[in-house]
Amino acid sequence: MADTLPAGLRYSKEHEWVALDGDVATVGITDYAQSSLGDIVYVELPRVGGTLTQFANIGVVESVKAVSDIFTPIGGEVVGVNEAIEADPALVNRDPYGEGWLFKVKLADVGQLDELMAAVAYEQLISEA
Amino acid sequence: MTDTGALRRTALYDAHLALGARMVPFGGFEMPVQYTGILAEHDAVRKRAGLFDLSHMGQIELHGADVGAWAETVTINTVANMKPGQARYNVFTNDAGGALDDVIFYRLDEQRWLLVVNASNVEKIWNYIGTLRYGDVEFHNYHGERALIAIQGPRSVEWLQPYVEADLAALKYYGCVGTRVRGLADPVLVARTGYTGEDGFELFLPGEDATGVWDLLLAENREAGLMACGLGARDVLRLEAGMPLYGNELTETITPLQAGIGWAIKFQKPAFRGKDALLAQRDANDYPRIVGVVMDGPVPARSGYAVFANGERVGTVRSGSTGPSVGKNVATALVAPSAAAEGTVLEIEVRGARHPARVVALPFYTRPKA
Repeated sequence: MADTLPAGLRYSKEHEWVALDGDVATVGITDYAQSSLGDIVYVELPRVGGTLTQFANIGVVESVKAVSDIFTPIGGEVVGVNEAIEADPALVNRDPYGEGWLFKVKLADVGQLDELMAAVAYEQLISEA
Repeated sequence: MTDTGALRRTALYDAHLALGARMVPFGGFEMPVQYTGILAEHDAVRKRAGLFDLSHMGQIELHGADVGAWAETVTINTVANMKPGQARYNVFTNDAGGALDDVIFYRLDEQRWLLVVNASNVEKIWNYIGTLRYGDVEFHNYHGERALIAIQGPRSVEWLQPYVEADLAALKYYGCVGTRVRGLADPVLVARTGYTGEDGFELFLPGEDATGVWDLLLAENREAGLMACGLGARDVLRLEAGMPLYGNELTETITPLQAGIGWAIKFQKPAFRGKDALLAQRDANDYPRIVGVVMDGPVPARSGYAVFANGERVGTVRSGSTGPSVGKNVATALVAPSAAAEGTVLEIEVRGARHPARVVALPFYTRPKA
């Protein structure tokens, strides 16, 4: 699992990833997270236009058995959500770093990224879990 | 749960690890919650068959001439009139009619019964029956020593029969038989019982024989689609089949009447523990009761969520999950009688927002007739 970690992303302790493109960050959950959760059946996403505070609890991912909070790894204005996962939540299981992304945030402050981990540090974290 | 020590392991522990199972604590044991995934395992059981390790469940043998008469004084169903080779669902009740545990009695011969109890209640039931001295009745606890393997699903007969001497197709639902299993020295009890809503069998066997049987069944039938299934799939399967889970739909304060298993209460029995309370509850008919709930939308209901009807709080969700065979999210809720009728429109509060739902008849899922 660790050898498939995309290198260009930043990672949070709560097992979310962030991909930055200009000042817009795409957020998702990591492969480790989807694998731990099991079959995902529902995702509650933030509203487009809402403002998120970094590390705040902003939604949930539900597997067959459990409800898990989403702590956004990044703060700012929500500029998009992945509507495809409303119809097919299992996209998050199948392609957590691609089609299964969750939402996009216009970054309030690029400095927030310093609070997150690079792939090497995140690999370390999950190898100790 | 009174267990405070280290978790125990079933005889199949190494087999679970070899299959890549995710292990969780359950009933004092480390048990597989899933192998490949809950939905895939659920699908295997509904369409083909799945293999379950249920060795964490309590197995207690009851011996003696007075077992039937004794058991009838502390449970809701009849026991004495069971014939050897019959299994019967039953509930141990307290004075208030609440459930101490729901169990299955298997009559092995004239003077021997096997009692299968929930893992989390083994200690409670073992201690409880130990305080009930009565005539010619002896108890033997095989918890953790004997294994229990279930094969559940429409292809169970086909896949199990090659290893078993008894004619499985001829065994009735809720029947049991002591029979030879290929490769094993001693006879094994095979019962046509289960907790999935599908046809299937449960094999009660010595712990040391469990891995051989498990590996053989999987090796021979895996390619055809037999899957090892964990407790996660089992919970979804039993919820869809409308079967109560002790601790959720049935507790020391939720009686069998409330849980919707009044059919198992034999009020014509002269006396049994909890009878007066259950009679009074039945006659007053004003008790909160377990109903089936289907969510209209995509948000699953979960145990503990508040239930509303016409803006009033009417109850609480007791179990909730996605229902793959139903195509909707399903739940059970304990609700006021005014909100229990089929078709009643409910709202379930999920993270502060109310989501529409409806009361439906249980079970959610009935297997197609063979």
